[in-house]
Amino acid sequence: MRGKIKVSFTLNGEARTEEMQPNQTLCDFLHDEAGTTSVKKGCDTGECGACTVLLDDMPVTSCLVLAPQIDGRDVVTTEGLGTKSAPHPVQRAFVEQDAVQCGYCIPGMIVTLSWIYEHLPGASDAEIKRLMSGNLCRCTGYIQQIEALKSARKSA
Amino acid sequence: MKSFQYLAPIPGFDYLVPKSIPELFRALDVQGRKVSIIAGGTDLMIALKERTVAPDVVVDLGRLRKELGGINSAGGVLRIGSMATFSQIESNPLIARYANALCQAAANVGTLQIRSIATLGGNLATASPAADSAPPLIALGASVTLASASGHRTVPVQSVFAGPKRNGLRPGEIVASVEIPVNGEAWSGWTRAAVRNENVLSTVSVAVASTMHNGKFGTSRVALGAVAPTPILGEKATIAMTGAEASAGTADKVSSLAAQDSTPITDIRAGASYRRRLVTVLTRRLIMKMLSEVAAR
Repeated sequence: MRGKIKVSFTLNGEARTEEMQPNQTLCDFLHDEAGTTSVKKGCDTGECGACTVLLDDMPVTSCLVLAPQIDGRDVVTTEGLGTKSAPHPVQRAFVEQDAVQCGYCIPGMIVTLSWIYEHLPGASDAEIKRLMSGNLCRCTGYIQQIEALKSARKSA
Repeated sequence: MKSFQYLAPIPGFDYLVPKSIPELFRALDVQGRKVSIIAGGTDLMIALKERTVAPDVVVDLGRLRKELGGINSAGGVLRIGSMATFSQIESNPLIARYANALCQAAANVGTLQIRSIATLGGNLATASPAADSAPPLIALGASVTLASASGHRTVPVQSVFAGPKRNGLRPGEIVASVEIPVNGEAWSGWTRAAVRNENVLSTVSVAVASTMHNGKFGTSRVALGAVAPTPILGEKATIAMTGAEASAGTADKVSSLAAQDSTPITDIRAGASYRRRLVTVLTRRLIMKMLSEVAAR
């Protein structure tokens, strides 16, 4: 129905039920209403990857998802991957490898690279590059970020 | 380039999430109101933001991922549910084995983030001339099952495409599944040219499926994407390849006929004559690849 609808989902492990406008993107909902401000809106057209989150453990650009599509599903943002005191290995490696410059792309980049870390531990450099092609960075140029993933693997 | 209305929210609509197939068909019975179906949403979301569609009702298939999803093989047919995502297709061993052209195309759609949610059914129903799933499916001789409140009908892949971004579905009809005949002996492949390697629409895509016996090609199909108002079967190329000697000479002949089969336009991605040339180059490349891969079996 037009107007708000009730949506139940888990966000970073926490079960939640929220009233949502169906014409809102998941990106806007997460950033503006759910408190997960790591989710950045870049292009708003599914090209840049800054708004990448895990939806049922698959990386998606949240600007191409309608907020109520998460009903019954599991959403994880960078906040849910690790904490300051117990960061995800990829988050720790980003710091150690200076893989961050302006930082805007980093939450989405970390979501994608942590997914590769968890699911494709044997992915080659070429495969990593192919899989991170949906995360654009205009500062550091990707090499440090690939190095960060590889260093996270080594210290695992 | 179309402009996006970044700051203005997408205009409102009624949002329905059917939880069963009968409920879906009731939801699609919209009495003259404009309805959009959201599967993965990667095309629809852009269209909503561009205001190229402005539905009164959006019907979300998200709760029917089981009913309309899945990939399985039975009775010599590989069946792919319309809600199967490109990530699922790309990583499915049955598809790698029996529909390799589709596997390769799926792996090149968009980005990891797009492939995670974009669906095969959505790619067909959006009916882009550059839909990357279509040439492999046409080459593999696939058919599409369309479903509505009044039943099912099975049509060739080409029938789902009526024109650029215009599908051949009737009101109240959805893409339910795709069926690919399984031939354990067949070879299939897909390739494309694009302005960059990743996250870009194909400038031209080509798929070839064929068999080889005693130095001759058996039943063959050459299918072309982004060189006509819809993805097409290259008819002259297909006829010339079927039964021909499996040789580089045939690859030359078939690939130049494929260019004759195409009717490309000039647009932002490429000029018509360059596209026609690409059809020849890509078709020849695929047939030569088949010759070397089948010889190595």
